[in-house]
Amino acid sequence: MRLDSANPGLVDRVDLLAALDRASASKVAIISAPAGSGKTSLLRAWADRSGQARRLAVVQVQRDRPDAQTFWRALHAAVRQVSGGTGGTQPSAATPDFNAQAMVDRVLSALADARVDIVLVIDDLHELSPEALGQLTGLLTNLPPHVHAVLATRRDLPLGLHRLRLAGGLSEIRAADLRFTERETRELLDAAGITLSEAGAALLHERTEGWAAGLRLAAIALADHGDPERFVVEFSGSNRTVAEYLIAEMLERQPAEVQRLLLRTSLLDRVNGELADLLTGRPGSERILLGLEDANAFVVSLDAERTWFRYHHLFADLLRLELRRTVPEELPGLHRQAAEWFMQQGRLVDAIWHTQAAGDWPAAARLLADHSFSLTLDGQAPTIQALLRAFPPAADHPELALVRAGGELVQGRLDEAAAHVAVAQAYLKAAPPDRRRRLRVGIASVKLSLARRRGHLAGVVEQATFLASPVTGQSNEDIALDSELRAVALMNLGIVEAWSLRLDDGERHLQEGADLARTIGRPYLEVGCLAQLGFASKLRSFAIAQRRCHEAIALAERHGWGTEWMIAPALVTLAETMTWMGGFDDGERWRQRAAQALQDDTGPGIRLLLHVVTGMLHAGRGHLREALDEFSAAEGLQSQLMGRHALTSLVTGWTVATQARLGRLGEARALLAAVEGECANWGEVRNARAVICLATGDPAGAHGALKDVVDGTAPVIHDFTVVEANLLGALAHRELGDPRSANRCTERALALAEPERLVLPFAITGSGELLEALPRHDTAHAALLVDILDVLHGSPLTARDEAVAPPTEELTASELRVLRYLPTNLSRPEIASQLSVSVNTVNTHVRNIYAKLQARDRSSAVQRARDLRLLSAGPTRPRTVT
Amino acid sequence: MDPAAARYAIRIKGQLGATVLSAFPAMVPRWRGADTVLTGRLDRSALFGVLAEVDALGLDLLEVRQLAPRRTSHESHNNRSP
Repeated sequence: MRLDSANPGLVDRVDLLAALDRASASKVAIISAPAGSGKTSLLRAWADRSGQARRLAVVQVQRDRPDAQTFWRALHAAVRQVSGGTGGTQPSAATPDFNAQAMVDRVLSALADARVDIVLVIDDLHELSPEALGQLTGLLTNLPPHVHAVLATRRDLPLGLHRLRLAGGLSEIRAADLRFTERETRELLDAAGITLSEAGAALLHERTEGWAAGLRLAAIALADHGDPERFVVEFSGSNRTVAEYLIAEMLERQPAEVQRLLLRTSLLDRVNGELADLLTGRPGSERILLGLEDANAFVVSLDAERTWFRYHHLFADLLRLELRRTVPEELPGLHRQAAEWFMQQGRLVDAIWHTQAAGDWPAAARLLADHSFSLTLDGQAPTIQALLRAFPPAADHPELALVRAGGELVQGRLDEAAAHVAVAQAYLKAAPPDRRRRLRVGIASVKLSLARRRGHLAGVVEQATFLASPVTGQSNEDIALDSELRAVALMNLGIVEAWSLRLDDGERHLQEGADLARTIGRPYLEVGCLAQLGFASKLRSFAIAQRRCHEAIALAERHGWGTEWMIAPALVTLAETMTWMGGFDDGERWRQRAAQALQDDTGPGIRLLLHVVTGMLHAGRGHLREALDEFSAAEGLQSQLMGRHALTSLVTGWTVATQARLGRLGEARALLAAVEGECANWGEVRNARAVICLATGDPAGAHGALKDVVDGTAPVIHDFTVVEANLLGALAHRELGDPRSANRCTERALALAEPERLVLPFAITGSGELLEALPRHDTAHAALLVDILDVLHGSPLTARDEAVAPPTEELTASELRVLRYLPTNLSRPEIASQLSVSVNTVNTHVRNIYAKLQARDRSSAVQRARDLRLLSAGPTRPRTVT
Repeated sequence: MDPAAARYAIRIKGQLGATVLSAFPAMVPRWRGADTVLTGRLDRSALFGVLAEVDALGLDLLEVRQLAPRRTSHESHNNRSP
């Protein structure tokens, strides 16, 4: 049980609390004052005070974890907690591919959906990385009306809130406001049970200048002091700085075991009883820590059970200096003990940090090399970089090359990664025998990722040979490391196989990778494998591919990764299959989400795919110029991939065909002529040749190009190429004045298109007239034919089963707010600006609205909403929009 | 924006004791009345490192002054600034 009110030295600073009340009525309140001014105490007193009408989401920026992901996950968790976890936002798990913008949107959306007034309280903001600070500005300038923020920092920060300041939405509490008055000084002494004359209290106030940390230190030093008046006079007569003088006094008055504990544990960011016992070499530390917190002696517990504690930063810094000055020879040993303890607890980062602090650089390098892969999977890439920077240049260890390679890989800098791998490889022979196996596996793993990113199948297969041998670790740690590497290797292997059209192998390896990832508790890898599995099964069956993609996305969303890079293959595959089936609006929706997930880079393969899908959508809608831009961009990316891949013939074929349809015949012929070797025989390229023939009035030539595709002897990626060939053949027959043959070809195209409902080839080839000409009694595919004509005439495919079913889930307040803008002709950015939220937030809401109403597009959503009487402002509380 | 190192005098309120001074190993301390003056040769990042330490330890910063090159008042430094 916490009994804050019973703490001596924590007085109720009524005036200051009232000042913070006033400040927190502004959109953003900033408490900016130096160390020890009492910012955190003020926030705690304000937060703990009864009668707070608003819910507080409190986050303290961790000194040793200034990275954006740690901060945003903590803030998101705090917001979820106070908002009751509404709004369908899932908790967010750590990910190696942190998408900050998506996270800001997720926090905003959770805030928007909360039905209570919320204050975000962020302490120690000066510890936050500049990158995360910039993202925070984005959040603060978009807060919903019922959300406010209170920030505490040691110094003014470049938050970019000028507009807010001009609009009067920003208020500040500064060092002068935080100073104790003389009256408050007396109250503090009284509360601590210290008897001091009026004059003595005045002297103490003058000497400390009302500085909170000084007064609190003095109160501790004065407790049970025999002659407080003399203490104050001596303090006042000294020229030493307040903090140093009082810390020395305070320490001196503590029992020896307390001094020992304070000094020796000051090198930890966090301490618990067990660890303190270890560093002090004697039992009973937990009791001391609890006593210190109860005495309000700059020790605060970090959990409700009061097992972990931390010191006030200023206090810890001074103790650490004192420790280093008085017993420098003990420091390495203490750090070593701490490192060992953290290692046993599996807290790798702390263990590596203390190994570095002990000056054991080679050991630190080995630890980092062994665990950088796991740490990367845990989303700790920024921490790895910070640990790397801590190595002095003279202590650079060859094993760190592998860590650096991994870092470059995360950033997508493939050449730099390869250079570091070369260094690691050169070191392999000189490495001690017991290190070689680990190093070899590590090198193979990085090379495998490199080869995969470059689409280099032979390289992947070569590096993945270790998969054939069973897991043979000496220790549990070896086995765990091996399992992670195996899961990643299976994923990389499966991806490259799928891209090489070795679909069965690819699907098998990806499934094995997903299963292994699940067994070892690595959801990030499992999602990655499943998303790729969706992509890999596309050519076999759209239905299976779509089911697998939805599974991968659902699993990702459970971990808060709805727009992360690794589900992009699933998003793109959904976009592509929907587009093939003529669901252009759905396809566009998935495409947009994929583009959002691919904001940060990612490697040429997946970007190529995104260009292809975008081009398909344009082509399907008859926007040939835009389609050509996308196909050309995809064509340009092919050069970055090594060797032929699944889509080579398709990308080249469509680029040529689109050029020809736009009348740019010279370019089309030149590109076609440049197609080399085996690729020229593929159906997709032959179709393109036929399009050129048709564009130049040579239907006979078209037939010649199409013959092997139509009769099934030319290799093709998928039946869709044969459908297209039959339609081009039909167009050629029509040109030649043979409508019966044209009808026969069209009917064959319909038959081939039926199983997967391939609508897109009809749109791309402009086959509307062919279909119109086909006598209805002559076709076995009338329903498909009508659907295709609907798409060609510009009406989106309508769902068959959306009649009067109620929404699958009730719409949230903020979704309803967005819904009511849908009947207007405002665009999504305009709606966003009306509601003072980001476009991404609106997109998220619209996506949820569509899903819940089972609507396919804006107009069907509006129709459903009308039917369900959702458009009039209902019982939900209307909020004013500022 | 001179990236080169220069000599700085940093005046802090109060007489810094051994504990706090150990945070400034590169600076020569001298008590001046009730204040402490830390003197040392610093480039820009070292200067801001010292100032960050002053901030972290809650010290009262009174003055930061770049000393003119080659000026020898009490100390005798021969190193010339470029």
